[in-house]
Amino acid sequence: MQLHATNLHKTYNIGGGDVRVLRGVNLKVESGQWVAVLGASGSGKSTLLHLLGGLDRPDDGSVQYDGKNLFNLEGGTLDRYRNAHVGFVFQFYHLLPELNARENVLIAAMIGRSVFGWPGARDACGKRADELLDRLGLKDRARHKPGKLSGGERQRVAIARALINEPDVLLADEPTGNLDAGTGEHILDLLRQLHAGGQSIVMVTHDQRISAAADRRELLIEGQLQHE
Amino acid sequence: MYKLVLILKYLRRKLAPMFAALAVTLCTAMVIIVISVMGGFLDLMRTSARKLTGDVIVHGDITGFRHYQEMIDAIEALPEADAATALISSFGLVNVNGHVVGAEVVGIDPEKFDNVVQYRDTLYWTSAHFLDMFRNDAFFTGQPPENQPAIEADIRTYEQNEFRDFGMAFKPLPHGEQLPGCVMGIEVAPTNLRNKQGKYKLVESRTLGHQVTVTVVPLSAKGTLGAYEPARRSFVIVNESKSGLYDIDKSRAYVPFDLLQKMLEMERIESPHFDPQTGETLPGKKVTPARATDIMVRGAPGVPLSQVRDAVQRATDAVVNDHGGDRFPFVMTWEDRHGVLLSAVQNEKGLITFLFAIISVVAFVMVATTFYNIVLEKTHDIGVLRAIGGSRIGVASIFLGYGLAIGVIGAVLGFGMAWVIVFNLNEINLFLCNKFDVCMWKPQTYYFDEVPEQINAIEVIWIMIGAVVSSVGGSMIPAVVAAMTDPAQSLRYE
Repeated sequence: MQLHATNLHKTYNIGGGDVRVLRGVNLKVESGQWVAVLGASGSGKSTLLHLLGGLDRPDDGSVQYDGKNLFNLEGGTLDRYRNAHVGFVFQFYHLLPELNARENVLIAAMIGRSVFGWPGARDACGKRADELLDRLGLKDRARHKPGKLSGGERQRVAIARALINEPDVLLADEPTGNLDAGTGEHILDLLRQLHAGGQSIVMVTHDQRISAAADRRELLIEGQLQHE
Repeated sequence: MYKLVLILKYLRRKLAPMFAALAVTLCTAMVIIVISVMGGFLDLMRTSARKLTGDVIVHGDITGFRHYQEMIDAIEALPEADAATALISSFGLVNVNGHVVGAEVVGIDPEKFDNVVQYRDTLYWTSAHFLDMFRNDAFFTGQPPENQPAIEADIRTYEQNEFRDFGMAFKPLPHGEQLPGCVMGIEVAPTNLRNKQGKYKLVESRTLGHQVTVTVVPLSAKGTLGAYEPARRSFVIVNESKSGLYDIDKSRAYVPFDLLQKMLEMERIESPHFDPQTGETLPGKKVTPARATDIMVRGAPGVPLSQVRDAVQRATDAVVNDHGGDRFPFVMTWEDRHGVLLSAVQNEKGLITFLFAIISVVAFVMVATTFYNIVLEKTHDIGVLRAIGGSRIGVASIFLGYGLAIGVIGAVLGFGMAWVIVFNLNEINLFLCNKFDVCMWKPQTYYFDEVPEQINAIEVIWIMIGAVVSSVGGSMIPAVVAAMTDPAQSLRYE
């Protein structure tokens, strides 16, 4: 797996004025790497992560995944990329409130399968969801709705959801940003364990301490990355 | 698969869509009820109209046409027709209890008439009415013991004889005036009143058994007045007829065919034959054939009405031609005969259904606004679904499927509600009338005892499909908005 962003540009029109958040960003992520992108709030970290995940489109530049430019892919292929090859973890968890923890994890597996394909995969997916929840310490919380879970538990559910389809790369957007120090440290330990198992991770954060866990740190300053 | 899961979850968790489903339910029920009741009235009128006219009617003019018996024989010989009967219809005056009313006086042979149009079923009073009166009315149950044997004798009489038979034979009642019988339309007598249920009660009937005088004015065969004096004759009312068509029951009196024919000078007349040149009496008699104004025909089962009509027209034309005549009676189906009335009700049904269908747009708007609000509320969820691989079409499908589910639930519940209401409408009306004095309609005022309790399956299916399509249509715009939501933007802020 290789994820390669080249010369990414992105401008937002905010309040009638243009804000150029990315000004020629280049980033290469190899298989098994953990890359942390550090930057202040509003520096464009989340935008970069969304572009890497094919969730947004750049004004210019490209993101190559295994040699293919994401933004030249058909809609359905790009959807499959987001479903199968990357896993998003958000600062605010973004769990679906109507589903319990287990269902929130399984929903990503369901998306990758049709109504007819799901019955054949249900048992295997269910088993993997249970294993993930068990591994993340949520075995007893599997039937709880997000509203009944703590912040740390919600983030662990979100990580389990991101991992259910065994993605090539985990895209984590301030994964500890909304948690207290102790819970944040626990989430960081989880990411360390995943990385130790060979999981590629791109994590954006404004926290120097958190970024220290990564193999490589990049600073996003004035819309450009600087290797630290 | 995730779409189905989310639709089911949303259905269980959200209150707002239940209001949309309620709107669909109410609109579906409303349209089904309206269309069923109006359709019921229309069917009622059609049945009544057909009962009055038979399948096909041979109609001359008020002066009548000759050789009607030959025509009947020819018609009954047709494979397209099963039975035919002649009748005479004329304008007249009927004096009922001192009230003189204008009426259509119709001369019939009851047995033959019944063979064509089920006349017997229109005779309102039956022995059951009398037995009910004798056994339950306080006037009779409160009679002293010495009168009871006479009441018991009357009960036995009505148990052994069906009262309708008097009407069928124009036979005078056992204890009444011994005059030829006649059958009045039940609304002819202004004293006939109905109770809250719309039923006429025998104890309140002030016409049965009374003498009436019928006056008609004979016309010459060429339709001129003044050739004859008005003819007057007394009859006794031996039953009353309720066809179901108010205009008919308000103005029709049935009398024996032969008597009316005689009163109108339409019977067969044999007169001396004079030489027009010399004025001398010639041997033999001059015969003026009897006349009738109409022939009613019952078609053979399964034969289309138009085919019966055409065959009857050919048969009657042949009879006229055989006699060298040039006045051909007009043949039409019962639908042609009552076309104006039936099409008016049909148009009313269509118009009212259309108006209620427009009102039902409210369900469409309700679904659209509810779903639009859900989309706004679910922006984060939409972003999440896109982030974990959901497609635009997939996201749109959730809302369309949601709309479909709301539509199906609303349509099914609406049908259930309509079913319960339509098949209990009369009881509901009676309850409201008795309990709160709020009547949706008053049977005393309208010319039906009960609102027809019927539902047309085909119409219901179309209405339910319409409800589901409206619901899906209402969710269409929100679904497109959801599909077009920028996931990156929706996930940017909490």
